Amino acid sequence: MSAPKTPLKMAIVGGGPLARAIAYILQSGDTDVHLWARSEDARDRLRDQLSGTSIHHKLDAALQDASVVLLAVPADQMLEVAERYGDQATGDQVVLTAARGVGEGFQLPHEMIRARTCVRKIGVLGGPIHARELATGRQINAVLASRFPEVIESVRALTDKSPIALHGSRDIIGVQVAGAISNVSSLAAGMADALELGDTARGVLLTHGLVDAKKIGVALGGSDKTFGGLAGLGELIPRHVTSMDRHLEVGAKLASGMNVQEALQAVNGHVEGVITATEAMKVAEARGLDLLLVRAVVQVLSGEAGAREALEAVLQRSLELDD
Amino acid sequence: MRAEDQERIITELESRVSLARVKSAEAGGLKLQEVLEDSHYFERRRLKDDKKSPAFEDDLTFWNDVQRDLRRASERDQKMLVRKIVRHYGEEISGNFDDRVYQMVTRVLPPGLGLLLNAASPLRLARKFPQMPNLDESVVIQGETEQIHRLHERGTVILVPTHVSNLDSIIVGYSLFRLGLPPFIYGAGLNLFTNPLVSFFMHNLGAYTVDRKKRDPLYKEVLKEYATLSLEFGYDNIFFPGGTRSRSGAIEQHLKLGLLGTGLGAYINNLARNAPQPKVFIVPATLSFELVLEAETLIDDFLKEVGKARYIIDDDEFSKPKRVFDFMSQLVSMDAKIHVTVSRGMDVFGNPVDDDGESLDPCGRHIDTSRYVLKNGVPTADRLRDFEYTKEVGERIAESYLADNVVTGTHVVAHAIFGLLRDKNPRMTVLRLIRTGGTEDDLELRAVYHEVDRLLTALRGLQAQSKIRLSPKLSGSAEDVVADALAHYALYHTRPAATRRGDRIIPTDRNLLLYYQNRLEGYGLCKRACLTPDHRSLSDHRS
Repeated sequence: MSAPKTPLKMAIVGGGPLARAIAYILQSGDTDVHLWARSEDARDRLRDQLSGTSIHHKLDAALQDASVVLLAVPADQMLEVAERYGDQATGDQVVLTAARGVGEGFQLPHEMIRARTCVRKIGVLGGPIHARELATGRQINAVLASRFPEVIESVRALTDKSPIALHGSRDIIGVQVAGAISNVSSLAAGMADALELGDTARGVLLTHGLVDAKKIGVALGGSDKTFGGLAGLGELIPRHVTSMDRHLEVGAKLASGMNVQEALQAVNGHVEGVITATEAMKVAEARGLDLLLVRAVVQVLSGEAGAREALEAVLQRSLELDD
Repeated sequence: MRAEDQERIITELESRVSLARVKSAEAGGLKLQEVLEDSHYFERRRLKDDKKSPAFEDDLTFWNDVQRDLRRASERDQKMLVRKIVRHYGEEISGNFDDRVYQMVTRVLPPGLGLLLNAASPLRLARKFPQMPNLDESVVIQGETEQIHRLHERGTVILVPTHVSNLDSIIVGYSLFRLGLPPFIYGAGLNLFTNPLVSFFMHNLGAYTVDRKKRDPLYKEVLKEYATLSLEFGYDNIFFPGGTRSRSGAIEQHLKLGLLGTGLGAYINNLARNAPQPKVFIVPATLSFELVLEAETLIDDFLKEVGKARYIIDDDEFSKPKRVFDFMSQLVSMDAKIHVTVSRGMDVFGNPVDDDGESLDPCGRHIDTSRYVLKNGVPTADRLRDFEYTKEVGERIAESYLADNVVTGTHVVAHAIFGLLRDKNPRMTVLRLIRTGGTEDDLELRAVYHEVDRLLTALRGLQAQSKIRLSPKLSGSAEDVVADALAHYALYHTRPAATRRGDRIIPTDRNLLLYYQNRLEGYGLCKRACLTPDHRSLSDHRS
């Protein structure tokens, strides 16, 4: 008689909508799910919502003996959280991130994890993930990129019986750049909606965003194919994906004449696209890249140009689709 | 290598490689019959073009026998034939290091090294012995020299030097001796063994043979497994991860990972059998020459075959004893230095290690590295995973090379002159510029001083950030640096790279200028698009 199979332990670090949705889906399967959230309020709320998940107030307890760790925090918290996690991290762990932003110097989330921990088996989630849809049990599609095939294998084993369909990729850079720049595109789309520029203009702006993403991604070592796939184009087609709504809202507020601080205060949640746009522009200048949409968004964020003026300048330029 | 270890390694080699081939065949890979046919085909083809090889007759007999046996071989016979070929390759690769000979040789170093360099002509040796170059003065050994000792005590060390010249292995061997370390073993190209006397010393100083003309995949597998086993047996190794000598003169940035990965393989095997000292450490070393013995041949080869290097040169300056002797003598007489900079060690995953050999994460915390290779709790090799780890090791080594490269006046002045030539001929490709010399025959001395001054300022900035090392001679003025470099150019090469006439500088040998200037590629010093360090698209770049 074979011994009963020990359930795989997964640790989720973070208490936001994505952390909650992933815990909700996986807790009903064979996975032993543990979650740590920083705030007591969040932990109490999650305890009520996630009956099959162990909620911890100490990070060490959540992480102990975990095979897979999801760092479900935004990019601006990644370094700090990774450093804390680094105290417990072990080389055999698989670490996942779904952050859609960058740090200073356009540092990508996987680079931040590498900069603070010993782990190598890092996977990044991208594509049209929508936490709310995930929580309703509808099938969702996500890209999981990693240089280590065993990361994709082990996460697939975890999500095997869940409604998450994972599409594997080796392009860890391209997937993260596509996700981060899509937030910048959403800021522009929010502005276009508020200015009533029309659906065609919105589509052209989003396509410009994709072209910009491809330019940065390829310059950083990503594959151009990624941007025409699920993590790039595939994310622009659905009306709602994670973090898009907040960015559309901030874009709309910027178009209405608010400055960045006012717009961010008026919106609940993380708006990673603001930092991403600024850092992307620095990369573009250092590498001689011409990023039309990103530059326009930065001009609006800095108050250098109004939203209408900046976006119309982009719309007058031809798309460099063959680049 | 001790004789008893040598036999054990070859026996284990025979068993491991043949078993791996049998398993692979059973799992749907190449059938043994195909493996044997491939070996026979590749070796036959090599022998057709390699009739001058000293082992030609023996090899021909061996492969005739294989061919005869293969015709009516049963499955069991095929297994035996694979074993036979693996042993044949293993015995050829294996060195015959003899500790007594090593002791004898090292006692007479550095004159012994002079002997090695001049070994092809004992008569000349006898005549010139009083003027034998003394390397003590010329070779500067610096960097993490204490740490490499400590790592050697705590595990097995793989020293990975940059590769510029065939003198490298000798300089590295000499440096290890000066550091008081025992000899490391290394794979040296078969072309270095053609002289019987050099071959004798090479073997006994720890070299094993690598025949780059052998294309048989089974041979490559045997070679890698031989290196793995030697590490498992605790023999410190020297690998040149750049593969061949840098043809362009640039610091290697795209390293060959095959042999490098044997460190990780040995570590996993050590863990699996609970070896008392399982750790394998990788220690980069950067060799920086003010002048390079084979510069003319190497850059010529680079320019002829950009992107598809000739790979094996067996008729260069190293094969001409007089050139070697002149080079060494003039190096000493001009106080030209060879810098050997030992970098900080790392583990087989690319993590830095402390002086106790403990691996560190980026925040300085200790890491249990055995967990990187666990599968269901057992240390297990995994080709794709291990390739990723080794790729990182390659990246860390490449970073160390750039940071520990010692720049000398010959590099800076060549970079300045070449840069000015490019400025004056903005629409000309680099290849065309080298061929024609561009629109003007010479440069203003003042302009060269100005450019050298600009470069020195930038380089000192990089040195302050530990991104490069500068030779002490570069602390002087631009005028001094230019004068010193011109004197060195005139010293040894058939034609100097550049000469001064009045207040003009004449780029006499543009190939050599390119070669020496390339040592500063990869640091962002160019005002124009740099020639990429991986040297692929030289002709595409506009100067």
